[in-house]
Amino acid sequence: MPNRVIAPEIQEIKNLKLPQPTVLQLDNGIPVYVTNMGTQDIVKLEVIFYAGRPFEDKQLVSRATAGMLKEGTRNYKASQIAELTDFYGGTLSVPVSLDTSNILLFSLKKHFDKLLPVVGDMLSEPIFPEHELQLFKKRNQQRLQVDLTRNDVVAYRKVTEFIFGKDKPYGYNSEPEMYNNIGTEDLKKHFYKNFASGNCKIFLSGKIDHEIIDMVNKVLGQKIRKGAVQKPQIKTHVDRATKIKIQPPAPLQTAIRIGSRMVNKHHPDFKGLYVLNTILGGYFGSRLMTNIREDKGYTYNIYSTIDSMFYDGCFYVGTEVGNEFANATIEEIYKEFDILKNDLVNEGELSMVRNYLLGNLLTSLDGPFNVSEIIKAHSMEDIALTEFEALVQTIKTISPDNIRELARKYLNKNQMWEVVVGP
Amino acid sequence: MIEYSKFELENGLRVLIHEDNSTPMVAVNVLYDVGSRDESPEKTGFAHLFEHLMFGGSANVPDFDEPIQKAGGENNAFTNNDITNFYDVMPAENLEIALWLESDRMLSLNFDEKVLDVQRKVVVEEFKESCLNQPYGDAWHHISDMAYQKHPYRWPTIGIVPKHVEDAKMEDVKDFFFKYYGPNNAIIVISGNVKVDDTKKIIEKWFGDIPRRNTPKRNLPQEMPQNEFRAKIQKADVPVDSLYMVFHSPARADEDFYISDLLSDVLCNGPSARFYHRLVKEKQIFSQIDCYITGSIDPGLLVIEGKPADGITLEEAVDAIWKELDELKNDLIPENELIKWKNKVESTLVFSEASILNKAINLAFFELLGDANLINEEVGLYEKITRDDIRKMAQQIFKKENCSQLFYKATKSVVDN
Repeated sequence: MPNRVIAPEIQEIKNLKLPQPTVLQLDNGIPVYVTNMGTQDIVKLEVIFYAGRPFEDKQLVSRATAGMLKEGTRNYKASQIAELTDFYGGTLSVPVSLDTSNILLFSLKKHFDKLLPVVGDMLSEPIFPEHELQLFKKRNQQRLQVDLTRNDVVAYRKVTEFIFGKDKPYGYNSEPEMYNNIGTEDLKKHFYKNFASGNCKIFLSGKIDHEIIDMVNKVLGQKIRKGAVQKPQIKTHVDRATKIKIQPPAPLQTAIRIGSRMVNKHHPDFKGLYVLNTILGGYFGSRLMTNIREDKGYTYNIYSTIDSMFYDGCFYVGTEVGNEFANATIEEIYKEFDILKNDLVNEGELSMVRNYLLGNLLTSLDGPFNVSEIIKAHSMEDIALTEFEALVQTIKTISPDNIRELARKYLNKNQMWEVVVGP
Repeated sequence: MIEYSKFELENGLRVLIHEDNSTPMVAVNVLYDVGSRDESPEKTGFAHLFEHLMFGGSANVPDFDEPIQKAGGENNAFTNNDITNFYDVMPAENLEIALWLESDRMLSLNFDEKVLDVQRKVVVEEFKESCLNQPYGDAWHHISDMAYQKHPYRWPTIGIVPKHVEDAKMEDVKDFFFKYYGPNNAIIVISGNVKVDDTKKIIEKWFGDIPRRNTPKRNLPQEMPQNEFRAKIQKADVPVDSLYMVFHSPARADEDFYISDLLSDVLCNGPSARFYHRLVKEKQIFSQIDCYITGSIDPGLLVIEGKPADGITLEEAVDAIWKELDELKNDLIPENELIKWKNKVESTLVFSEASILNKAINLAFFELLGDANLINEEVGLYEKITRDDIRKMAQQIFKKENCSQLFYKATKSVVDN
């Protein structure tokens, strides 16, 4: 019979080394970060342009331009792009991001040569057909209409709108009418200004050999047109934080978002804040979860998060709670801020958080696609890869005093916007 | 090809170990052969509530999550109609922590009243968040209730009403635990950077002395073939109309299952599939449409759901769908179209094998279906499907009398943001 009361010994995570990518340059100057790892014969290609909201002349144009790249090029109609991708078992998508436009292709290695030319065409000769744009707008308007009936969506939109400013790149929200203002000329203008070599980085991961790299150079190294780096247009915004209440018809739960602007990855405090945020609401064992879900049962889920954009950042707590628990929940959230500002985190909890985060980082190094994500997150913002090791060090060594200092500096009730969507 | 070794402990626990030395991690998956189909109609949502209780402390360990987090791991679980499935992903050197915890909660829970009280509330909030406070959130409640009249698939895993969960008693909890949460009703899979021999020893150490339980033999009322069209109209304050059509389709372990899966692919497994290409892009009848199969152990459903484009009525939308379904019943699909979806299946399988957790969950599920090695045989089963098989399956499934149809109609009240 094993002794079940005593836990087996926990082994410390020793090897947390970020595999270094091979960095190459295509003929047109685009840097390619190659992560050649893994057991499966699969390839992930991500082509990223600095072409998100900070680079727009008109609201929604960055999302619409990226979304329309699959809808027709000089050599392929939208239906042909769809047919080829499906026929060769590929997945081609244009994930939405605030700062960038990403074109993402997953493919079996053996079919990569058939799918790459499609990507090449999308990035050099898209034609933004008028009728496809009309369809794109209608689909998005209807989806938005549905989303806007969800209280959690409304709460998130409001809190970020207040934090960053209603008319600013990170703050504005799409409204159904806004789609009507976009025409094919806007998309073309955005495309030809921003989708050029000086604005682009490419990430290749999976089973990547010379053949794959040569193909990428032959297609993307030639077809993506040469062009200079574009400057972002970032306007800052400061307003006094306040409380906002929205009352939808007959809600069964109350959506709460409490948040503020926050320093981003480029700030020396960020790594420590990452640990602080984890303690507060960044994992299942966090203080918010333990208190508000596991002790009181007010909610199914509560979390806090720090969103780091290229040129700004924000922090917020989010949850949906039973209507009768809304006020008590808000009170408890601020109480948790205060505890972090007043008391030192004890070593037991801190060591759990340290180990949890190190395990998380180990998972994030598991497999070529995950590694490539980390490489991307660093290189897109010109952050040295050695910063990964620095984050590991911060996690291992940050002191309770340090954490309390950060809480005092950043978790201030009078700087928090409070959005409540409920009865 | 996924290689694994398999053995059974004396208490009936089935164990599978898959070595993958390309990762520093290990995944532990514990599948219990109990789901919402094993509930009584008066106490629905219980299997899922129980999943929550499994994290509230066991005989010798007050908290499940804390040691996992201390060991740098993550863990979670899901419940569906058929199974309750728990998993832990750890740095490989901390495998034993997960096994210690999993074995202790298989041995016994601590049956803490406070844990039950809190988790009842948490699950009721989950019920609201996922079903009641969402547009169309209760669609599945209506659909399953129409499509199934006898079989317990007629209620969703979350339960019929929150009240069932609110009424759960500690004696129900104990009874459920000792009935279903035994080694002889479970399958454990270890997948990742481990050695088979060492792992075998630790499994025996932690799980070997857990007593066998008297798990009742499952005897569920089986659904009779549906032989009349069923329709329902639900009016609600939703932003746009939405429609759902479901058809009874083969059980997961049935060889025909793979044909029904490929049939749903032909309709909707990508931007080039018929529904999207023809009904969204060409004819603009739908703004969104999806088709999938439930893949349940007892005979399941093929589900079609969509939102008509502006200006299109639900009736017009349904006609357009039937036109597509009739075409599949009448004409053979082109050879190239069949090859396309087979290619896509191959690709999906290759990609899914890149994750140790996927492999662990799939191995456990296939073992439950009868043989873990099915995981390696699937490609072949899809490969041998012919165009004629697809047409026959379409003829078998897409009959009006095999269909239940839900219209979710918008009452068009003003939504104030």
